Amino acid sequence: MIRVENLSKKYNQDEVLHIEHLEIPKGQSFGLVGNNGAGKTTFFSLLLDLIQPTTGHIVSNTIRIDASEDWKPFTAAFIDESFLIGYLTAEEYFYFIGELRGQSKTAVDALLAEFEDFFQDEILQKKKYLRDLSKGNQKKVGIIAALIGQPDVVILDEPFANLDPTTQIRLKKIIKDLDENTETTILISSHDLIHVTEVCERIVVLDKGEPVKDIQTSQATLEELEAYFNK
Amino acid sequence: MRYSQFLSFEWKQFKRSSSFQKGIGIKIVLLLAALYFIAAFTSLGLVAYYLIQKSFPQLDPIVVVNNYLIFWFLLDLTYRFFLQQLPVMNIKPFMLVPVKRSTIIHYLLAKTSWSFFNWLPLFFFIPFAIILLVEAYPLIQVMGWLVAMILFTLSLNYLNFLINKNNTYFYGLVSIIFSFAALRYFNIYDITVLAGEFFNKMYSLWYAFLIPLLLLVLLYRRNYAFVRKSFYLDDAIRKEKKLVKTQEFSFLNRFGKMAPFLKNDLKLILRNARPKQVLFMSFLFLFYGLIFYTQETYSDSPAFLVFASVFITGGFLLSYGQLVPSWDSEYYKLLMSQNIPYRQYLESKWYLMLVAVIISFILATPYIYFGWDIYAMIAAGAIFNIGLNSFITLFGGALNRVPVELNVKAKAFGNTQGFNPTQLLIALPKMLGPMLIFYIPYKLINFNAGLLALALSGLIGLMLKSFFLNKIESIYQKGKYKTIAAFNEKK
Repeated sequence: MIRVENLSKKYNQDEVLHIEHLEIPKGQSFGLVGNNGAGKTTFFSLLLDLIQPTTGHIVSNTIRIDASEDWKPFTAAFIDESFLIGYLTAEEYFYFIGELRGQSKTAVDALLAEFEDFFQDEILQKKKYLRDLSKGNQKKVGIIAALIGQPDVVILDEPFANLDPTTQIRLKKIIKDLDENTETTILISSHDLIHVTEVCERIVVLDKGEPVKDIQTSQATLEELEAYFNK
Repeated sequence: MRYSQFLSFEWKQFKRSSSFQKGIGIKIVLLLAALYFIAAFTSLGLVAYYLIQKSFPQLDPIVVVNNYLIFWFLLDLTYRFFLQQLPVMNIKPFMLVPVKRSTIIHYLLAKTSWSFFNWLPLFFFIPFAIILLVEAYPLIQVMGWLVAMILFTLSLNYLNFLINKNNTYFYGLVSIIFSFAALRYFNIYDITVLAGEFFNKMYSLWYAFLIPLLLLVLLYRRNYAFVRKSFYLDDAIRKEKKLVKTQEFSFLNRFGKMAPFLKNDLKLILRNARPKQVLFMSFLFLFYGLIFYTQETYSDSPAFLVFASVFITGGFLLSYGQLVPSWDSEYYKLLMSQNIPYRQYLESKWYLMLVAVIISFILATPYIYFGWDIYAMIAAGAIFNIGLNSFITLFGGALNRVPVELNVKAKAFGNTQGFNPTQLLIALPKMLGPMLIFYIPYKLINFNAGLLALALSGLIGLMLKSFFLNKIESIYQKGKYKTIAAFNEKK
């Protein structure tokens, strides 16, 4: 699904990301871990063509991301609050995203109904603009909006941060469901090793911009990761 | 924490901001403009005495100057209101560190007194005072007068701060000025006579400068109290929130693919403080014609009437359009990664401007009162706005990478101004262009030929719509990464 070729990003002389080669097959749930500054957000930003690669490129479903806009219809993401439109209510925002992804109102409503318990009655019919929601509730909106329209690729940057424990557990279930029941490729970054080992089939560790570990998740993975980060 | 530390923070913020390098050309132009005004004011200050002496031989020049000072100060205030950059400061990091609030506020207020707008009048007053001394006016009185003038100028600085940041003061002052203007216009009472006497006292009684001194102190204290009151993070504290309704605007669905954007833009305008302000301003532009069409002086120079006519229908286009990608700066990354071709985005903005021009044109119907010539001029201006100004504005937007805070709450520290000198500079061709297009055929052939040229240029622009949009799209596309990075910069 996603192929990274000789990708690097430099700011002035500092190389913040360098990935020689990486392939993420269709339908995989892919976890990205690493300390601050490891290049996780840089990598996701490159996947969304928000920044320009210094060398190399990413190909998503045969489309070169920095050369064509055709990856947009099948890619969805939630990176930070700048993916929300503050002056819309949650419903308006969902419908707006739905319209962009060719989804009718009823289709969006049906999708939202599935996630009712995830919202915990904090989001829908609240008569509030998104800018007036708390950080955690904003995140819930952003994550669910990224699932509208059955995108082939879903990118979530730190989805667990800022969420309350109940929502974290429900989010894990949502991601696992997506992984098992659909062909969606999910890319997740996290600082929480437990969450990420629980939901991802494969985990790549970035260190100073370079992939240093590429693990198929198993029982031993959490321990291995903890040992690595405890060095 | 000392003032020098604030200064060094500010210098760093200025130097490290992404907009620093790009505007170097504009900065040079602004510098030249500043030098020009300094030279003009200085020479005016040097020759004013003798000019007045020649024109009004029976009057004392200082008295004549004092009689007209009120207009000087009014003009000064008007220019300040539109052009003076008020301090913007990020107070959040300072709220929890051991630095006195009063220190921050005094620093903020003191900084405004260094503005060029406070220096410029001195380039007139000081040479003028020197000439007075040369002409053997008593030293103590001239000095008293000069000090009073400096104090008045500084008072205007703080008055401007208040009217810029606080609507009550703004509307209060505007209504006072309008009432006096009306009283004067209808020959009921002429405040300028009283003002003349008042300013003459500034000269005849050397200690009268105590009055502006008192005024300055009072205004400063008002400013201080006002800023002190806003020294909180509103958003964090404000709990009471208005309940809002989900709106559909389904009547916009007929615009097909552009419908979601148009709906969004409508909500953007209706639900945010900044765009609402712009909407209000563009409504005021509708009345621009009243100033020009009623003046005898302009009736023989129709080029100026064209200027006004373009403004009547173009108010929204110019003031909203110039900030086009900036309005979406808060969620630009979303737009850039969603299923939105740039072309559609730009086209929807263009339609929005088109609708605004049409609405303004309908609202401008009463101008028929001033004659069909005027109305035809407004129509030609509207066509020009749709066909050319809209594209120039979108093009200018590509050069503008300043993020906009849509719903500015902490007003005292944020930049709430509608435009700044840079934007004004980009706006110049949009206003001078139509004047020129009209003026050349008008001079060579006649009035109607001028109007025809103006309307035709708009129609040609309209026919080239997809060409223009393609060009603009490629410019936006080229600047995409830079724009994202600039909008990402937190203020």
